[in-house]
Amino acid sequence: MPVGPAGMLNPVRALGRYSLLMFQAFGSLHELSIYRKNLFDQMVKIGIESIPIVALTAAFSGAVTTVQTAYQLTSPLYPKSLIGSIVAPSMILELGAVVTAFILTGRVGARIAAELGTMRVTEQIDALEAMGLNSVGYLIIPRVLAGVIMFPVLYISAVLVGIGGGIIVADLGGWLEAAEFIDGAREFFNPFDPVFGCIKSLVFGFVITSISCFKGYYTRGGAEGVGRSTTESAVTSCVFILLADLLLAVTLL
Amino acid sequence: MKASNELKVGIAIILSAVAFILGVRFFEDIPLFKGTYDLYTVYDDARGMIVGNAVRISGVDVGSVQEVSLDPETNKVKVRIRLDKQYIVKEGAYTEITGIDALNAVQMVIHQGPPDNPPVNDGDFLPNRIANDLFTSLTESAPGLISRSDSVLVGLDGTITDIGELVQPGSDLRRMFSSFRSSADAIEQLLSEERVRIGRVLANVDTLTTALGETTQGAGDSLAIATQQLNELLRRVDENLAALENTTNTLDSILGKIDQGEGTVGLLINDPALYHQMDSTLENMNALFLDIKENPVRYMRALRLFDIL
Repeated sequence: MPVGPAGMLNPVRALGRYSLLMFQAFGSLHELSIYRKNLFDQMVKIGIESIPIVALTAAFSGAVTTVQTAYQLTSPLYPKSLIGSIVAPSMILELGAVVTAFILTGRVGARIAAELGTMRVTEQIDALEAMGLNSVGYLIIPRVLAGVIMFPVLYISAVLVGIGGGIIVADLGGWLEAAEFIDGAREFFNPFDPVFGCIKSLVFGFVITSISCFKGYYTRGGAEGVGRSTTESAVTSCVFILLADLLLAVTLL
Repeated sequence: MKASNELKVGIAIILSAVAFILGVRFFEDIPLFKGTYDLYTVYDDARGMIVGNAVRISGVDVGSVQEVSLDPETNKVKVRIRLDKQYIVKEGAYTEITGIDALNAVQMVIHQGPPDNPPVNDGDFLPNRIANDLFTSLTESAPGLISRSDSVLVGLDGTITDIGELVQPGSDLRRMFSSFRSSADAIEQLLSEERVRIGRVLANVDTLTTALGETTQGAGDSLAIATQQLNELLRRVDENLAALENTTNTLDSILGKIDQGEGTVGLLINDPALYHQMDSTLENMNALFLDIKENPVRYMRALRLFDIL
């Protein structure tokens, strides 16, 4: 890539290459039957094997949000059930999707980038091409599809566990009764909120897997290059998750 | 391996889909498996009502607000609510938004129609009545409140003047207070002088109550027997009273008969002829006694004659 003043266009170039790669990948979607085994393999690796860490994170974020909300709501003017009204929508709208996405950037994105990067630097991708396989479709489609399909599943389990964690901590910690918490959560519940959360997690799934595939696929320069791709994929994914979060909130809410 | 992966993914997706649907229904406060129905109503002012607010009948949550939409042409607010099927709304029901919008704690209340009316159907319209919130009703009733508080103040003024006269130096109240104070002083002095004795008295009372407590405990059986005897006594008194009442009744009927002129006594009492006869007889007897007193010899002679016989 050019450096100096011409390097200012590097991000634009990267965007172009990323878009072309995605077009190419989705252009081979008709070969999906060939990638079927690979797709389910990735769904298990990206989705199901991530459930424990996602649940753990969600439980703690729900619990901490509950305790901190209870700590802040000291005025006797507010009913205690307001804690539920704050924690449940926080989990559904923001924490369930975003915290999960950040966790998966580390767990899934880094793995994908390192995997593809290593395949690139050890010329396994070239070997695939030599065998006549469409390496873009074969490597990228299962990973991105698995991310898009499994992230909402992870989001739903994160929200359930997060709210459950909040309720348990509120009840055991003596902040408020479980029934009060649920009453409060019901008071301001909007059925669109979880749908919005699902849309968000689906977008985040696409952002994380596609960016790490892109970074991994275009790795250069040996082991060091693999390390760089992994770092770049994590950082870029995080930034684009935040951007997508804001964009979705502005457009859909 | 392939089948196992597919199965895992399938189970995960189905479970999360079920959790999603049930979770949404749970937080919407709609029963998880039972049916629901929708009704709608139109307000001029939704007063901060939002999707998810509770709908209540007689204070019980029966559903929730599903949709709040503003009609741009009429500027009226259409509110769609979803109710649990087990709660039936009768025709003639009307809705009301209650709560305090300043705290964003509003809810819809459905006032049921007459119990004999048929139930409303899915998608029906419910009329409404806007209830005043706390601040509005305060503002509306303010003029009345002010005039009332005005008259209260005038009355209070008179009362205060009266009190002022009452507490003038030399008034009865003053004198009463001063004598009350001297009494209190005297009592206080007495208390301080007799502190030891009062202490002793109280100690004695304490011992006495303790002893009494013990006795009551010990004498529980005798008390029970005494109570039983008392009960027996009361029962007998009761019987006696019943007999007495019987007697009184009989007496009453006898007196009634007498009054009616039945029987000998009745005739005696109710026949004036007899009384007059007796009266004249007594008069004659009186005259006779007078005569005897004046001329005893006339009769003594006769007596003597009698003696001889």
